[in-house]
Amino acid sequence: MSNEVELSEKLIRSRQRLSPAVSPPLRKEEGEGGCGVIGIACNEKIAGRHLLQSLAQMRNRGNGKGGGIAAVGLAAGELGVTQNILENDYLLSVAYLDPGARTEVERTSIVPTFEIDSVFQVPHVDAEQSLPTLEVCPPEVVLYFVRVKANAIGKFQEENGLGLSTCSEALLSHIEDEIIYQNSYRLNRAFYASEGEKRAFVLSHGKNLLVLKMVGYGDDVVRYYQLENFHAHVWIGHHRYPTKGRVWHPGGAHPFAGLHEALVHNGDFANYASICEHLAQRNIQPLFLTDTEVSVLVFDLLHRTYGYPLEYVFEALAPTTERDFTLLPEEKQRIYRQLQTTHIHGSPDGPWFFLVAHSDPVERAYRLIGITDTSMLRPQVFALQQGDVSIGFAASEKQAIDAALESLSREDARFWSRADLYWNARGGSHTDGGAFVFRVHPGSPQAKDGPSGVEHACNGSAEFACTDKFGRSIQANQTKMPFHNNPSANTVASPPDVPAQELFTWVKDRVRSWSPDSLLEFLRGLERSASSNENRKRAFEVLTLLMDRRYPTGRLRRSCLLSAFDQSLVNVVASIRRSPSKAFAVVTADDDLSRAIADCETLVLDAIGFAPEGECSLARAIVRLYQQGHRRFAIARAKGQRFIANGLGPDTSGLRIDVYGSPGDYLASGIDGAEVVVHGSGQDQVAQIMKDGRLCIYGDVGQTFLYAAKGGEAFVLGNAAGRPLINAVGHPRVVINGTCLDYLAESCMAGDPLHGGGFVVVNGVSFDDDGRLFELDTPYPGCNLFSLSSGGAIYLRDPHGKVSEDQLNGGQFAPMQAADWALIRPYLEENERLFGIPLQQLLQINGPALSGEQIYRKVQPHALQALQAEEAWVKMQS
Amino acid sequence: MSAKPESIEQIIAQKHIECLHRGFHVWPALEYGKPPAMGDSRWTADLILSTWMQAETGQPPSNGLEYRTGQSGGGFDVLHLKFLPPEHWLADDAAIDLSIPLNRRDYDRQIRIPVPFYGAGMSYGSISENVMLARAMAARKWDTFTCTGEGGYPESLVSYKDHVITQIATGMFGVREETIQCAPIIEFKYAQGAKPGLGGHLLGDKATTTVAQMRESVPWVSLFSPFPFHSVYSVEDHKKHIDWVKTINPAALVSVKVSTPTDIDMVTVGSYYAGAHIVQIDGSYGGTGAAPEIAKKNIAMPTELAIPRVHRYLVAEGIRDELVVMASGGLRTAHDIAKVIALGADGAILGTAELVALGCTRCSNCERGRGCPFGLTTTDPELQRLVEPEWGAARLSNLYQSFQSELRTILRQLGLQNIRDLRGRKDLLLYRGDVKAS
Repeated sequence: MSNEVELSEKLIRSRQRLSPAVSPPLRKEEGEGGCGVIGIACNEKIAGRHLLQSLAQMRNRGNGKGGGIAAVGLAAGELGVTQNILENDYLLSVAYLDPGARTEVERTSIVPTFEIDSVFQVPHVDAEQSLPTLEVCPPEVVLYFVRVKANAIGKFQEENGLGLSTCSEALLSHIEDEIIYQNSYRLNRAFYASEGEKRAFVLSHGKNLLVLKMVGYGDDVVRYYQLENFHAHVWIGHHRYPTKGRVWHPGGAHPFAGLHEALVHNGDFANYASICEHLAQRNIQPLFLTDTEVSVLVFDLLHRTYGYPLEYVFEALAPTTERDFTLLPEEKQRIYRQLQTTHIHGSPDGPWFFLVAHSDPVERAYRLIGITDTSMLRPQVFALQQGDVSIGFAASEKQAIDAALESLSREDARFWSRADLYWNARGGSHTDGGAFVFRVHPGSPQAKDGPSGVEHACNGSAEFACTDKFGRSIQANQTKMPFHNNPSANTVASPPDVPAQELFTWVKDRVRSWSPDSLLEFLRGLERSASSNENRKRAFEVLTLLMDRRYPTGRLRRSCLLSAFDQSLVNVVASIRRSPSKAFAVVTADDDLSRAIADCETLVLDAIGFAPEGECSLARAIVRLYQQGHRRFAIARAKGQRFIANGLGPDTSGLRIDVYGSPGDYLASGIDGAEVVVHGSGQDQVAQIMKDGRLCIYGDVGQTFLYAAKGGEAFVLGNAAGRPLINAVGHPRVVINGTCLDYLAESCMAGDPLHGGGFVVVNGVSFDDDGRLFELDTPYPGCNLFSLSSGGAIYLRDPHGKVSEDQLNGGQFAPMQAADWALIRPYLEENERLFGIPLQQLLQINGPALSGEQIYRKVQPHALQALQAEEAWVKMQS
Repeated sequence: MSAKPESIEQIIAQKHIECLHRGFHVWPALEYGKPPAMGDSRWTADLILSTWMQAETGQPPSNGLEYRTGQSGGGFDVLHLKFLPPEHWLADDAAIDLSIPLNRRDYDRQIRIPVPFYGAGMSYGSISENVMLARAMAARKWDTFTCTGEGGYPESLVSYKDHVITQIATGMFGVREETIQCAPIIEFKYAQGAKPGLGGHLLGDKATTTVAQMRESVPWVSLFSPFPFHSVYSVEDHKKHIDWVKTINPAALVSVKVSTPTDIDMVTVGSYYAGAHIVQIDGSYGGTGAAPEIAKKNIAMPTELAIPRVHRYLVAEGIRDELVVMASGGLRTAHDIAKVIALGADGAILGTAELVALGCTRCSNCERGRGCPFGLTTTDPELQRLVEPEWGAARLSNLYQSFQSELRTILRQLGLQNIRDLRGRKDLLLYRGDVKAS
């Protein structure tokens, strides 16, 4: 123990000479806060081109003034080195803004301290030709594969009292790490951060880790540095949204490197000065003056210098607090309290979501880490797909993950377009700790690259695991087999000639024993039959039911089924486009919408090609077509298009919009009478200020669901994230079958539900992979129920009394009465009709059937001390 | 006043109104000297009374009332305009242009107002519908704007919609697609720390049945407007907000109202990149009458510090002429307006000054339902009758008239022919911190 402490202290002391005794900065120089991030971890190396679509679809989260990527677990051959060098040498990546500086940089800052085993010049395209929108010419990048010279190590040991005689491998490694770190610091100070011109800086210096960044979007980086065919196990990508600085420098873009890790950040925290102080006390001075940089410096300090396991690093960054803390086991409380006391000033305060690409040269493992702040203020989605290849994701938006899967599955049949699992992290919680780690550990030597840009390992792929902060494992249900949606399936089976509902039941009964071929035969048959109006409607309806409902799927992996249904729908839409019929017409982004489209029952909009926002967006197209008189829409293949069903104005009852694919944010915001059905999940800000109408989501929703909603009905099959129904007024009536992260119904003012006001029912149930309903651990894991609220009610399905008093902030339990049950029962009946969740089953899990009043508990806001004595007069008015 | 009195209440109300109006006339005329306990060092008795006089006559007072500055010993009161010697003044009949554009970008609709000011957001609930109507009528007459504030868009204002800005604030009260669609300018209000309670707080006794109807809440229960937008915690969320509004009303201009934290320059630039046309910098002197003094006066930066900083920063960024910067926060007189423009703003937004014109004496009882002696900051159906919209509109119109005349005089005496040339001319300001305003 004391050896490690001693080492930490000596390493920290050794930095004293690095910088003059100046006060740490009080202000960030670079202002930012916005950003979009995506991270991928795969047990086989994947090519950089698979990031392009995700980054392109998240461009609205950046402003083109900074973008970057980090890659970990690289392919030695692509960098002109042996595997041995790749794993054991430090990959010193230097950006030259002034190519003329190279000689001087090498002479002063590289050659003296390092043995250079290899040098690699990163290739790039001609910016003017290929990327004319770039404002600033990206830097030339040279990679140096180095080890620290023996005499430099010796010198360091001597100067810092790290005696020669007791030197282990591990200690030498620490020393080498520290020398690398300090050398890069000096290089950056000399060539970038000093008063003169910015000439060069170190992008990264870890082992088997590469950072590239520039003034541009994240996808520009992939294109400029020709990373389309560059492979790695772990990627993180970032768009920056800086708001300060007229002359943009690549040094301000993310990712920032610690030592063996690189970090990207979405958010903006308030205590930059405090964190700088915390670091300054450990002789660490930031150079690039952004909050992201200090985040990774803190990460490196905790993980490398102090040697904390990742769990403690997460705790120090996002402390467990309030009720979640009290639910931790005692031993954890003891340690966490110590961590918090020591590190609270180095904990970022504010909205943040970090993605870290981490190279672990000791374990020879690569990690993608996603950590979210305790208040859960930034959107974050994690996902996992495990078939022949295992792949994990973390991103700002679900549609970015779907875009990456789409890109991979187009080229490689071992991937398919839907993840097995999607989830959100609960920041600072006792449940998952708000952090997830995807770990890749290659066992055997790597093999050649296949044509699809994903390597085929000869002797089996690397190990892959996903764990939360506490080490609990998350994995897909491997008992069900994935299968490929082979487009050239030979046989076609004609579906029986029965109406949609019957056909759906027919499929449902058979799918549990079908092989992949049988399923695909059926789908091809269904598509082929979809030539007449009736059969097209039937195909749409059957496919929709197959996507929406839950049922046993036998050996078949559900996400692959969904992927196949998605594709089938696309094929049906394509055939309609080729030969439109009375019931359907297909509109694409290429069509001229100023001319009236012929009347038809359902207008299908193929979302591909529509901009995510703006005049040429899908949302505005829907408005225009609605104004032409169309009243029934189906949106196919949504890929992050935003604001769907916005801008339609008042009184839209009679309008119905079905959405298929991955919609972007603000879906159904402001609707006033329309019916919007999403055959999948929504993202953030769904149904903001919704006034009237109905919303039905066959999946999950993201942050601030129904923010300031005024009325209408909403049914959600899955979960909501943070702050659902916040600031709601009037009379929205909502059923959420899953659960929510936290802050449910904060500031809700929706009156008395028994007299026309609003309410939300939370059932706390979910479906397993075989379509069986089960209870979640608790209907509501968070706190702050009804915080600052004055109206509305929450009906929790809580037969086991899991929800406790200390989860209520402004709320109180109220007796559940006949009138309450009579109020919510019709909604639960509708819920049954929509989702196939039988009311009877809700009243009867693991036991005899009980009454609604026994199963459900009512929470309402505290009786407010509304008026003071002298205001007694107002009562006369009501 | 209106037609024959119907009832004893009507008679009493009328007499009350007559008395109030007589007071608004008599006190500034100094028939009884100055009221001994009126005002404070920012809004002195002189400033309040001279505002009343301008609201009555359409001209600044000529009986010795100080109508240009207060006695606060700081802020605009120690900044003086450096007028030229009279021989260099422009002729009395010189055409002076006071107009400013509200959109400096080269896309989206162009709106221009003939005077460099418009009315601040004051919500239905905080003030009465009659006051809102008065403001809307004056705005239409002067081809400028007023703002609904956060409480929703009353039906009676719809006929004035071309002159009404609608506000989207953190509680999103009364925000519906149709209110967004009928407004030429949408104002996002970010950050309201200086209000009683956590963010904006409309106390229960002001949340009348009508207010509740407009906000779709329950009557007589306090309403909270949180201090952050729960969907905006990062600058790209702010951009999404603007994208959202543009999806609903592509033709609208977007204004972003922000407070003045120490990184106000970064906030402004962020708004610029997000697509805002107008940034309203709301300094520390103003604020709702309903907030406790300690909160109001100790939060954020004073206007006269924030504006030159933002102006200088935007100039350095090269984007000053693509963004309209409006200043608000305790701007009381035409001289304050001129000074804030000289510091770097494009124009000014008036809040309290308009209420003073309607009779406010700054007694700070605004937060209670029946606290306002003049029927301004109330939604009580009886009390609000003290302000008749037509009368109120005439008062405001006169005030604008007086401001227009004063601004022209100021520009003439500075040798400038239009208000836009005054922008950023700090060299025309003199700081005289040790000299009391004469």
